[in-house]
Amino acid sequence: MIPGEFQYFAPTTVDEAVSLLQQHGEDAKLLGGGHSLLPAMKLRLTTPAVLIDVTKISDIKGVSVNGSVTVGGGATYHAVASNDAVRSACGVLADCVAQIGDTQVRNRGTIGGSLAHADPAADLPAVALALGATITAQGPGGARTINADDMFVEMLTTALEPNEIITSVSFPRLGAGAGAAYEKMRQPASRYAIVGVAAYVKLGSDGNVAEARVAVTGAGPKATRQDATEAAITGTNGDDAAIAAATDKAGEDMDYLGDIHASEEYRRAMVKVYTKRALAKAIAQARG
Amino acid sequence: MTALIGESLPRPDALGKVTGAANYPADLVRAGMLHLKVVFAGRAHARITAIDTAAALAYPGVVAVLTAADVPYNAFGLIDHDQPVLCADTVRFQGDKVALVVAESKRAAAAAARLVQVSYEDLPIVTDARAAMQPGAPLVHVARGSNVLFSIPIRKGDVVQAFAEADIVIEDEFSTSWQEHAFLQPEAGIAYVDEQGRVVVETAGQWLHEDRKQIAAMLGLPEDQVVIRYAAIGGAFGGREDLSIQHVLALAAWRLRKPVALVWNREESMIGHHKRHPITVRCKWGARRDGTITAVQAELLADGGAYASTSQEVTKVAAIFANGAYNVANVWVDAYAVYTNNVPSGAFRGFGAPQAQFASEIMVTRLAHALGIDPIELRRKNLYREGDIEATQRPLPPGVSVRECMEAVVTELRTRRIGDGGQGREQSHATSHLRRGIGLACGIKNVGYSFGYPEQATATVELYGEQAIERAIVRVGAADVGQGTHLAMRQIAAATLGLAPEQLTLITDDSSQAPNAGSASASRLTLMAGRAVHEAAKAALQQWQDEERPAIATVQFRPPATTALAPVTGEGTPNYCYGYVAQAVEVEVNTLTGQVQVLSIISAHDVGRAINRQQVEGQIEGCLAQALGYALLEHFQVRDGRVLTPHFSTYLLPTALDMPTEIVPIILELADPNGPFGARGMSEMALVPLAPAIASAIHDATGAWVTQQPMTPERVLAAIHAQTQAPRAGSTE
Ligand SMILES: Cc1cc2nc3c(=O)[nH]c(=O)nc-3n(C[C@H](O)[C@H](O)[C@H](O)COP(=O)(O)OP(=O)(O)OC[C@H]3O[C@@H](n4cnc5c(N)ncnc54)[C@H](O)[C@@H]3O)c2cc1C
Repeated sequence: MIPGEFQYFAPTTVDEAVSLLQQHGEDAKLLGGGHSLLPAMKLRLTTPAVLIDVTKISDIKGVSVNGSVTVGGGATYHAVASNDAVRSACGVLADCVAQIGDTQVRNRGTIGGSLAHADPAADLPAVALALGATITAQGPGGARTINADDMFVEMLTTALEPNEIITSVSFPRLGAGAGAAYEKMRQPASRYAIVGVAAYVKLGSDGNVAEARVAVTGAGPKATRQDATEAAITGTNGDDAAIAAATDKAGEDMDYLGDIHASEEYRRAMVKVYTKRALAKAIAQARG
Repeated sequence: MTALIGESLPRPDALGKVTGAANYPADLVRAGMLHLKVVFAGRAHARITAIDTAAALAYPGVVAVLTAADVPYNAFGLIDHDQPVLCADTVRFQGDKVALVVAESKRAAAAAARLVQVSYEDLPIVTDARAAMQPGAPLVHVARGSNVLFSIPIRKGDVVQAFAEADIVIEDEFSTSWQEHAFLQPEAGIAYVDEQGRVVVETAGQWLHEDRKQIAAMLGLPEDQVVIRYAAIGGAFGGREDLSIQHVLALAAWRLRKPVALVWNREESMIGHHKRHPITVRCKWGARRDGTITAVQAELLADGGAYASTSQEVTKVAAIFANGAYNVANVWVDAYAVYTNNVPSGAFRGFGAPQAQFASEIMVTRLAHALGIDPIELRRKNLYREGDIEATQRPLPPGVSVRECMEAVVTELRTRRIGDGGQGREQSHATSHLRRGIGLACGIKNVGYSFGYPEQATATVELYGEQAIERAIVRVGAADVGQGTHLAMRQIAAATLGLAPEQLTLITDDSSQAPNAGSASASRLTLMAGRAVHEAAKAALQQWQDEERPAIATVQFRPPATTALAPVTGEGTPNYCYGYVAQAVEVEVNTLTGQVQVLSIISAHDVGRAINRQQVEGQIEGCLAQALGYALLEHFQVRDGRVLTPHFSTYLLPTALDMPTEIVPIILELADPNGPFGARGMSEMALVPLAPAIASAIHDATGAWVTQQPMTPERVLAAIHAQTQAPRAGSTE
């Protein structure tokens, strides 16, 4: 449980961090809160020779709410969960990160670290997918944006290049007629999602569901949109019967992973249970 | 001063433990002490082809690397000496020890341990108990020629005829899994050679004199050349009955003539020490229409793991409780313990009784349902009475109080107006997926050693003063593993002598200073060591009255004799005392997720006489937490002999959030004939009926029976689904 030796850098600007990444190439890894990276290093699943700490870069630690909610890649979960403006503009985001891990994890873990790590049981990826978040990453060639839908490629693998840093993530403001919720069955010790479901709905002027996005995490190798569920609920009046019908389609067409915490079959059943809860809550919220 | 008996005096050790002043084994230091790191096998079954210690020895700070060649007598075990201290040629489970690295710092010891190069030739493994019994299965101990470690039949009456004549017969299979003791303080200690040339081991354990015996045998020394001392002990639960680190510390100190310390981390503790036995129970119960249970047939198969430990005793205990606490005329039991390449199984609070009665209590409730009789009524008809004959064909020891325990629970249920057929039963939220249910179960478990094992406890009481007794010294080698035994001994002695508790000095934790009172196990210390203290105090008092100054008396107490079980019939007197318990629980089951929340527990115990009421309640509540973990959460998972859950992030223990807000301990005091002031043991009892009580409550709530322990959400949900889809197989209900 002791990691191998490594060199440590703590740049204070994004440019500096990017050039360090360039310089050390494959040997280097960014270090955020360390709550995914350090456990992996202690188990020697990864042995980076160089760590570049991004938590001293003040430019990527901010949280601001304007037309949208913009969170720095280096902002901690706690900074997001405790921000009142975030809570009123995009409550689901604050709710989600407030349920991550324990106090220590929330005090150190970062938004960028979570999305870059893409743990199959991480919470935030589901919310990013359901809200249609955009991720801004900076590399040697400058900055680019990645849609959440394009971000999660496979287990522990994202669309990020090895020399890119997540500088910020932008989430929509949930205005009138919109609602979103995140519901999870947590592993009791770590609080990682055994199954987590994020749902977003927008009601049309007729009060019917005009738009819906539902994403599942924890159940399979990566966070996944639930197209069939989204299609089934869209255009309905969002009543119990509509929710039940949409829930029936949840998790039908995705890959599952079983582990010591729960089997594939159990997770398949839980996807439906938690989809129903998340959808019902999102719709109720959208109705105000 | 008998007013002291039952008084909830505060624990003298409590303040030091909560402030951190108490010294646990990991806190012990000595000048110049070295640090020991164990090199584990890390594989389930292999032949050792070579051990190369050169690189480890060359590591800066390393003093020695010890291997099998350094062990004078390389075999130990509580019953069979079938476990090597350090493996010479074969490793049989992941936690087998291969080498010991001793260095000047912990860091150097850990680093060098990784440099010990052991070459292995992997051998075929056997990790399923039933597969281990098949001819041709890989042998765990080749020289034994079979993986069957132990077997015992129990035959009473004629089950064939009884089943033929029964009005109802039900059958099922139950499985229980390993349980980890999860004491707060992992194994630790320090050993050195003292000025008199004796090997001293300061550590935690459950029986000073047994540790001494095994260590002396290992080193080839007379017992008085070995001294065991216990520091504050952070829990044991049976997990410190087998040697884990005590002997390797002694070995290193003896070889090097230097103080050596060792502290296991949680993972080492989880992998390194034995667990509760997983037992599969296949059973068949028969009854007459009037509710008389007429026959029980059971096969119990225990996974003993790689070494014998106490498997044979646990297996016998499980076997004699195959019929629970019920008077059954015809009983046929075949019980087996087998070797596998899993972690060894051994002592754990309950010692076979919880596994057997998980099956038997569920079967009794199901019989009641099948017969259309209230489960409480069925129990009233069949529970043991004074003078009933056990499955081993001999009368029960006097003091049979399981009925009183159950009636106390039933009364409490009625006054709370729960479980009376729905009336007054608070239904939870209107939501239909949260369902509440009530379950009841009873339990029996021996107090003290069984099956003819020589049972004794010895104590010495010394009285000092001139006219009046000014102070007293009580010597009794009884381990306080957290259960409060030292305070109980103090209260018993003070009450007997008519002294204030503060006038006594207790000497309890040094094998060279305190006589052998036997182990802190089998709920026996209050009865056994307590009685020895009581008798020694009386004898010393007599001497005092005869003007002896100081007055010193040593008394060995021996309870009524037990006998071995006859090999073909299992006939015999297994025990001299039983503890009895009954419980009722209310649960709420989420029928969509299978999650179970226990809402309240009523637990009634006949403790004979409470020596310290608060400690008795503490034992009931603490034991219920462990029982709840066993019932619902603690899923020790092993694949191909490798532990998948070696941390508390993966092996789930109950927390405050899992415990019910309401625990009602009911303490009955129906004097035991042997215990001091009538006290009888009680510390394990709460673990016996809780899992089947919860299973019955889940059934009451959902109609589904869960037959696998632990009853995880996944298993509960599967049972609910199976129940709504198909009638239960294998049953004529
Ligand atoms: C006890 C415990 C409980 C936990 N419970 C939960 C839980 O309930 N839910 C949950 O979702 N997670 C949980 N986690 C994981 C936690 O959320 C991690 O902190 C998170 O996944 C990673 O964020 P970090 O800042 O700590 O990243 P690090 O661990 O420092 O890094 C993770 C990866 O991201 C890369 N990285 C870091 N920052 C950036 C960046 N700005 N740009 C690009 N790449 C970057 C690193 O190079 C590394 O590959 C838990 C962790 C622990 C230890």
